[in-house]
Amino acid sequence: MNTSHQRWLLEQLPQWEREGLLTADAARTLRERNAVDDSQPGLAQIVMGALGALLIGTGLITVIGYNWDDFSRPVRLLFASLPLLITQIFSFRELQRGAASTAWVRETAALLQALATGACIAIVSQIYNLGGDWPDFLFWWLLLSLPLVWVLRSHAAAIFYLIGIAVWSVNQAEHWDAWYHSALLYPVLLLGLAPFWPGWPLRWQLGRSLQRVGTLSLCAGLAAAADSSVSLRMHSSYVAFGSLVWLWTLTASALLLLPFKADASSDKRRLYPHVTVSGFILLALSFATSFSDFSCGTLSKLEMVLTMPWAWGCLTLVGLFALPAIRQQRWALLGVSSLSLSPLLALLAGSRAEPILPWLMTLHLLGLGILLIVLELAGRRGSPRLGATLICVLIIARMFESEFSLLIKGLVFIAVGVAFLAFNILMSRQLKKKQAATV
Amino acid sequence: MKTLPLIIFSIAVLAQWAAPLSQIWTYEKVLAKGTLIKLKCTAPDPYDPLRGRYLAVRPNQREAPVPAGMELKQDTQVYAVLTTGADGFATITSLSLTPPASGDYVRVKSRYVFNEKALIDWPFDRFYVNEKLAPEADKWFAENIRSVQGITAEVRVFNGRAVLEDLSLDGKPFREILKARLK
Repeated sequence: MNTSHQRWLLEQLPQWEREGLLTADAARTLRERNAVDDSQPGLAQIVMGALGALLIGTGLITVIGYNWDDFSRPVRLLFASLPLLITQIFSFRELQRGAASTAWVRETAALLQALATGACIAIVSQIYNLGGDWPDFLFWWLLLSLPLVWVLRSHAAAIFYLIGIAVWSVNQAEHWDAWYHSALLYPVLLLGLAPFWPGWPLRWQLGRSLQRVGTLSLCAGLAAAADSSVSLRMHSSYVAFGSLVWLWTLTASALLLLPFKADASSDKRRLYPHVTVSGFILLALSFATSFSDFSCGTLSKLEMVLTMPWAWGCLTLVGLFALPAIRQQRWALLGVSSLSLSPLLALLAGSRAEPILPWLMTLHLLGLGILLIVLELAGRRGSPRLGATLICVLIIARMFESEFSLLIKGLVFIAVGVAFLAFNILMSRQLKKKQAATV
Repeated sequence: MKTLPLIIFSIAVLAQWAAPLSQIWTYEKVLAKGTLIKLKCTAPDPYDPLRGRYLAVRPNQREAPVPAGMELKQDTQVYAVLTTGADGFATITSLSLTPPASGDYVRVKSRYVFNEKALIDWPFDRFYVNEKLAPEADKWFAENIRSVQGITAEVRVFNGRAVLEDLSLDGKPFREILKARLK
């Protein structure tokens, strides 16, 4: 249940109590279970605050971009400094107000100060006709804005930082002169947000918007970091796609199993976008590996990739994150995550690895599809529709590759289609039965 | 008010001021104490979304002789020794890995070495112009690109740092020429 639903429920409770629909005890239990944390800003507040700050900030940058030729250098420098000073005073006032400060004002103050910092650096470099690359500018801008995330507990500034470090990392992905110039810096930059969400597992529930942006940032940043690790090893900005496939698969595996504080009252997949996104990436890459052309490229680079620290780091993380997942019996997630291990198993076959990997991956995906269905039927948390989809897609893909006649292929497609629809109807009925039993 | 957030906020504010102020301090010193050198260059007219219109300044000299025995790796910072010729224009006559003891020099990036010559990146590559002047600057550039005099970059250099102070044509400042054309 999201915050707006909880607020609606809390508004209805007094009325329901008066009408005798609920006892006072039941109402109290519902209030405790659905308490809304008003110290965390809602999405609408963030959006409104951020939009206002963005408009002012963009206006500021555009005014600066006009380049006031008629003013002397000191006057133009004053132009650059004044917005920064004003926004710093504004933020300080909000900091002084402490708990009395409204969430959206805090958000606006933090974002405005971050934008004013960027504008100030930009105008100074304009005045002195300095060159410089935008990634360097972005890097320093992000570092100077980071403390505002901690101090003002600003979600908007955190989102700005998450997007910024992802953009910077993707741009630096193929830098191979030094690790600290490359996207390998992404995990370190991400750690910069640690004071914003202290504790392990996370002490606070992150807002939905932060979770989504965080997931996208993690996916882009970590993919770029994997790319950089290969670039640094090869001393070249050209990286063969085949050498990245397994690294990305492994990275997605670690991300999928990332332990978060479990929320028993919510649907985990909806609550944690990193599970959905990394799971999708993992399935897509694994499915592609079930084709021989694709798996050849992956296997040809696998031995080299296995000697890289990034691969060992990810393998260690997968191992570490798997332990709490086993303890919590998250078998479906463990099953999806295990897909990254198939290429390693195929490697054990030595010279025969190349023909084996596509079939091994097909079997692995088939087994996973069955597992996802069986888990649900056994009353555990599975994903029967995803399992059925996986099996269907696998059958269709293998049929396309096969030498069977068009007639046989067509009949198989019809049979698979009918079975898929029948399964869907069966699952819908089961769900209705479950819901009726709960009521 | 809690002390720790205040301390962190104060450090952030100081850092936010330190970044622009250190630049201002460095480049004001170059403008005040630096030697004025002139470089022949070209200047097309692109656009920077953050800092507005600028002329991309490209000094004609892109290569510099590498002294015998000097080994230069790709993308290394080196010091370029500047010598002013009889025509009043400066050129790079030598490269050094350490700051020269005397004379004018500027820190440049050496891209790669070929035939004992290093391809270099100058520390300046743009000259910002007012939005109103930019279209006229574009026209002016197109008309003068093939002129004998060429466009001159006036640069102040001090302790290896350089600030592009102005552009000129035939001794006349670039802005004055453009303003006269707009009248």
